[in-house]
Amino acid sequence: MIVMKLLIKKAKICYPGHKLHGKTQDVIVESGKIQCIASSLKNPGNYKEITSKNLHLSPGWLDLKANLGEPGFEERETLESGMKAAAAGGFTGVCVSPDVQPFSDNRSSIEFVSRAGEGKSVTLYPLGALSKGGKGEELAEMFDMHKSGLVGAVAFTDNKPIPNAKFQLLLQQYSQNFDGLIYSFPMNLDLAGKGNVSEGETSTYLGLKGIPHLAEEITVARDLQILEYAGGRLHFSDISSAESAKLIGASKKSKLNATASVAWYHLIFNDTVLEGFDSNYKVLPPLRTESDRKGLIKALKEGNIDTITSNHQPQNIERKECEFEYAGYGINGMQVVFAALNTFAKELDLDTLVESLGIRPYQVLNKETPSIEEGSNANFTLFDPQEKWTYDKTNNHSLAENNPMFGTEFTGKVLGTVNGKVGNIS
Amino acid sequence: MSELSVEHLIGIKSLTESDIQLIFAMADNFKQVINRPIKKVPTLRDITIANLFFENSTRTKLSFELAEKRLSADVINFSAGSSSVSKGETLVDTVNNILAMKVDMVVMRHPNPGASVFLSQRVNSRIINAGDGAHEHPTQALLDSYSIREKLGDVAGKKVVIVGDILHSRVAMSNIFCLQKMGAEVMVCGPKTLLPKYIDKMGVKVETDLKKALNWCDVANMLRIQMERLDISYFPSLREYTMQFGLTAQILKELKKPITIMHPGPINRGVEISSAIADSEQAIILDQVENGVAVRMAILYLLAQKIDRPQ
Repeated sequence: MIVMKLLIKKAKICYPGHKLHGKTQDVIVESGKIQCIASSLKNPGNYKEITSKNLHLSPGWLDLKANLGEPGFEERETLESGMKAAAAGGFTGVCVSPDVQPFSDNRSSIEFVSRAGEGKSVTLYPLGALSKGGKGEELAEMFDMHKSGLVGAVAFTDNKPIPNAKFQLLLQQYSQNFDGLIYSFPMNLDLAGKGNVSEGETSTYLGLKGIPHLAEEITVARDLQILEYAGGRLHFSDISSAESAKLIGASKKSKLNATASVAWYHLIFNDTVLEGFDSNYKVLPPLRTESDRKGLIKALKEGNIDTITSNHQPQNIERKECEFEYAGYGINGMQVVFAALNTFAKELDLDTLVESLGIRPYQVLNKETPSIEEGSNANFTLFDPQEKWTYDKTNNHSLAENNPMFGTEFTGKVLGTVNGKVGNIS
Repeated sequence: MSELSVEHLIGIKSLTESDIQLIFAMADNFKQVINRPIKKVPTLRDITIANLFFENSTRTKLSFELAEKRLSADVINFSAGSSSVSKGETLVDTVNNILAMKVDMVVMRHPNPGASVFLSQRVNSRIINAGDGAHEHPTQALLDSYSIREKLGDVAGKKVVIVGDILHSRVAMSNIFCLQKMGAEVMVCGPKTLLPKYIDKMGVKVETDLKKALNWCDVANMLRIQMERLDISYFPSLREYTMQFGLTAQILKELKKPITIMHPGPINRGVEISSAIADSEQAIILDQVENGVAVRMAILYLLAQKIDRPQ
């Protein structure tokens, strides 16, 4: 919807590091800009008033990786339905992963994505492929994708591991002429073998083939060494092991240009949820142990991991309603990231959560964090960390239903988003 | 207690010790039945059982079919070499199609771990897991423990070593659960490449030296090396495997005490077990096969009690 004039009443500003952080303010938005912020503002006229108990306002959240299905998998998700789910989840920006059909590895596919987000409450930031067709063999035209469209590819990923170390080296080198950001999905495929869950006590007694922690950690170590050797910018988009986070933390101390993301579900679940063979918990990288889960939250708090992604991966029902080994990977999670973490990741404080969703993602992309100042462009998320609601198939905005959290009562709800002149306010 | 605590037989993990005792007591009765001149009872004459084998099996299938027929059940067999998915029909659809023909119980073998769990949550029938991937093979574990009880009087307090490919074995996992529930101590032994890294978390001892393992145990269960299941080379040659993990008369002679030898079959003579040992007094391999029928009859009988049947 187009938001012309808004008066937001008594919103607690949630923006760690900002001078207004923790303060309750009224905010007037007009023509896509924040016009006034003060402790109390009168409605200048016919401004739509937004009030709610426990209203919080933070910089608009940005998801660094989500698969939106289109083109090629429109039965799972479309850019349109994905944007609705993202907005309902509080995101004003989504980085759209290129692993669609055909693979998003050229200028026109990047323009297709960025155009779809034009004038919408969710800005779509295309992620370009690293390699032609996502095959991990030949470099894709990254420079052209970077320069193309309204937005241009903000970073590059094949959304799967790069087995060849020489190719990873080329990526780090080649991306430097345009300061491109390379995503790494760290997993050694030889060590992972035919595994589809984490190797551990649970996989042992369930008889499921395991992916060892080693498969991830060895690749994190490899890619950090390549980064040190070659330079460039590197982002680990899919971290599941606490030890990986330690390796990345150490590299940050030695001033390497490395950042990392973790998917929300790795902060809530451990591999024991697989006991009933529910394929909705089948994700890649796989759910690890409770000690990993706690370690990942600690790493987020310490800044060794920078951001939380939805790692949204819609699947049609036939890809999940089958034997575990045949099931597809992923959870369609964009809509519940905040609610699920606020409810179940007890060790995660609200400030870290908002930082990981609304501040650090911009820093990872070398973009300016949305400003909460008079005269700045409006880009913010409104939420109530105490409101209870139940996620079910009637209020699910994604086309897909592969989510283990249907029927769950959450504490914490997104109340709306404003992104320039467009908003999504219930 | 005269009925099982479970509605399906998915795995040993979900059984209680008294469930297992009940199955054993019932198997004692059925073992007498199958040794009579007339080896049949009419107990399940009103029941139809489908044996669905999505993976090859000879002895388990034969054993189940015999058990079913000796209980006078009507039996249908369905074998599919390949998975249901590759044929385009889902597992649930396949099974529901068969159930629509008024089938009361399903015995299923499937290559995927958890397939029996998946099915039991979605179809309206009693499910007996005849092996699902590397998850569980509960009837094999029950007949193994039953055979130890028969040979040694009790399972509790006994030391049992499982030798061979533990990594790909559903027999090993179900056996570990069953033996532990019955109070036995369990060790696994094999080359490190075929032992799951976290197997010690199951509360078992881990050994890579066959002689040490055999000196520790009362019973050795020698698993078959399933060359057809190994996707990569976990050891250089069968010859070298046998040099380290093959059971020979020479090794047995050097042990401090006689031990009982088991094998779930089919045996690879000269690989995991030498011919002389397989045919010796110490081996109870054929007793296991006989007991398999009695134990499966007991399970079928006890699960059929859970079906709403006209008197």
